[in-house]
Amino acid sequence: MLFNSTVFLQFFAAFLLLYFLCRNSLVQRNVLIVAASWLFYGWWDVRFLGLLIFSGCFDFLVGLFLDKVEAPRRRRLILAASIVVNLSLLGFFKYFNFFVDSMAVLLDALHLPFHRSTLAIVLPAGISFYTFQSLGYVIDVYRRQLPPTRSPLQYLAFVSFFPQLIAGPIHRGQDLLPQFARPLTITGASLVEGVWFVIFGLFKKVVIADNLAPLVEMAFDGPAISGPVTVAATVAFGIQIYGDFSGYSDVARGLGRFLGFDVARNFALPYFATSLREFWRRWHITLSRWLRDYLYISLGGNRLGRRRASVNVLITMLLGGLWHGAAWNFVLWGAWHGLGLMVNRWWQERDARAALMTRSFAAPLTLLFVFYGWLLFRAGSFERVCVLTRSLAIWDSPPWLPHYLLCLLIFATPLLCLEFWQHKTEDELVILHQPAWLSGIVQGLMLLGIILFWEKRAVPFIYFQF
Amino acid sequence: MKSHEYEVNRSDLVRLAARVAVPMILVAALMRLGAMTGLWPSPWPALDLERTIITHQAYASREPNDSDLVLTGDSSCLMDVSAIKLRQQLGGRYRPLNLGTFMYVGFNGYASILARYNDVNPGRVRVVVLLVHPEMLRGIEPVSSYLLLLSDLYAGTDPSGPSSVHGQLCGLLGLNIFESRFLGRFPLPLPGQYGRFYGFNLDLYNYMERTRGSAVDPHQFVPAPGQGNAEYRLSPTLESVCLAFRSAIPAGAKLLVGLTPVPESFAAPNYPGKARQILHQCGQWLQADCLTNLPPTLPDALFASTTHLNQQGCETYTAILAECLEPHLQAK
Repeated sequence: MLFNSTVFLQFFAAFLLLYFLCRNSLVQRNVLIVAASWLFYGWWDVRFLGLLIFSGCFDFLVGLFLDKVEAPRRRRLILAASIVVNLSLLGFFKYFNFFVDSMAVLLDALHLPFHRSTLAIVLPAGISFYTFQSLGYVIDVYRRQLPPTRSPLQYLAFVSFFPQLIAGPIHRGQDLLPQFARPLTITGASLVEGVWFVIFGLFKKVVIADNLAPLVEMAFDGPAISGPVTVAATVAFGIQIYGDFSGYSDVARGLGRFLGFDVARNFALPYFATSLREFWRRWHITLSRWLRDYLYISLGGNRLGRRRASVNVLITMLLGGLWHGAAWNFVLWGAWHGLGLMVNRWWQERDARAALMTRSFAAPLTLLFVFYGWLLFRAGSFERVCVLTRSLAIWDSPPWLPHYLLCLLIFATPLLCLEFWQHKTEDELVILHQPAWLSGIVQGLMLLGIILFWEKRAVPFIYFQF
Repeated sequence: MKSHEYEVNRSDLVRLAARVAVPMILVAALMRLGAMTGLWPSPWPALDLERTIITHQAYASREPNDSDLVLTGDSSCLMDVSAIKLRQQLGGRYRPLNLGTFMYVGFNGYASILARYNDVNPGRVRVVVLLVHPEMLRGIEPVSSYLLLLSDLYAGTDPSGPSSVHGQLCGLLGLNIFESRFLGRFPLPLPGQYGRFYGFNLDLYNYMERTRGSAVDPHQFVPAPGQGNAEYRLSPTLESVCLAFRSAIPAGAKLLVGLTPVPESFAAPNYPGKARQILHQCGQWLQADCLTNLPPTLPDALFASTTHLNQQGCETYTAILAECLEPHLQAK
């Protein structure tokens, strides 16, 4: 079920009514959330519901075991079991064919015989997100940073909470789990914020991202056309993926507000970052935190010297790239950012004055770096990366390029203007802090745009495939 | 334990709804007012490939024109024949205009485009060439929304949206007016290969302007199983539709009918004979002369799909069509 579909609107309307009726019982509320979340998930493919339930039940029990067992060696074993099970599921569904294909290519290059047996594996929606959320909980319990929950219902609600189930944010147990254990308050202000987040999120997805998608496809899904088209398409994709993913996250936050939940912020105006390190503090914030807390720090973080810290950054980003998808271009994208972060860190530590001098260049340089990363990300394969990169040197342009640029401008400008306003005022809710008439006009026009383009293009959320 | 409580009063909800609804109502009123007073530009619903083609052909048919040979039919007529090349092949004696659309517009749609052209250019048309793919003669029902779009374009009214709740809501909020009068004038990308060949809706429109209504299918046919049914037949239900189409032919104009080709590898072994039968029957119903010399099949390399020729195929086929037309035009 997609947020940008009529069936979801019907589902959510019915859910809100039932949610209102359950207001006197915490258990009823959590039962309703779990049931609705499973319906939401099963709507897409009921076969994978078992996987979600298994993952939830397994890690709930692991949490209880970890609490009971005191011996460090046994605790480590239990943690390892959870990691192995969770990553095996993720690995099988997400990476099996990737590894078989890569092995075949390698052995073929070495002229060694290989019996190729790829399976027609469908990737369960949101598996990367709920697996990481559940795994994060287990690691927190292991590190004794979080007491395990004794309520299976609350844990299942935490793992399957539908506003964030398919594409995050990836919550830490400390942030979301307690909200299922206590009464919540829904105020007029939280509804106003919820409406804004839902309208802004859907606007970013339905109006901006989905209308930029055909522009991106024109350049990326076929022979490379020319440098100007590749550049414009890469910019279009950078805005599309941002609108798509941050739009989903905003809708998730808005839905959470309607229900009284505080869903984490996942994007904080990332394209206004003045360094790559800052970009990763603003882009997919919850994944960045997850990778930092559970991977980078586990690898030793920066406690083992500068050189080792750099290697840790590179490993973290490589695995972060691979988390996005089972393809070499994602690994390349991860490596690109890993190397970029290493250079960024070295540059900032080397000479603070030099860093200050380059400040005026920092934002455009960061954007340039990030957007070339999007070319790697969207290319689809290593060969396509080469083809598209080579096309950057071809500077003739098709006759329709002015229309391409105009279309890009039309759909990107509203988002850029709004975000520039938020950036300048350092206020995410700046629209709500305007006079009622102005706030109403902005939201009303956005809603009209959403209705106009509603279900016009059935573009699934990009991050559903991860 | 209590689950959650609402600290919301009714006035909060009303304020929240009003804040968003009032501007929307104002926009709806403004849209209607602009359309009623003629302040907004005329409808131009070139919102995708199909609607751009229909918009172009509707506008082309309602403007004064010097064309005396009108090509009409489905998308194979639109894509397989270059009006400009045909003029050259005919030695400039005729000025062809391609008003082909696609099969889902149906014979009634073709008739209405032709009738409009004749109304605006009375006595101009000397020859009407109807070219259809045998696929169409199975009796495929026209899509009502395309016919509705045509009639709206001729009436100068905004296309009404679909009857779904969303369509109704768009109508209520005046978004159909915005869509047809403003959005269609924005550059909107065309899908897939069409996008890579033409670019945007406006580019396709301009291309059709330059080529006197003809277009090109930019794909390349690759034979593969499951690309359609090669057992062509003539549906008896088309008899009445053909008669209705005949009535749209201007008095004194000659009607010629032909079948566009199918790929050699796709056609059934008995297809050439079958095609002749279909054409003769169709010609009888239409009271038209049949272009029997048109080839029922052509080599696969000249095709974009099972129903359209590619650019090279279009050039080849236009030359063949000119040859086939010659005796009929001389007789005229």
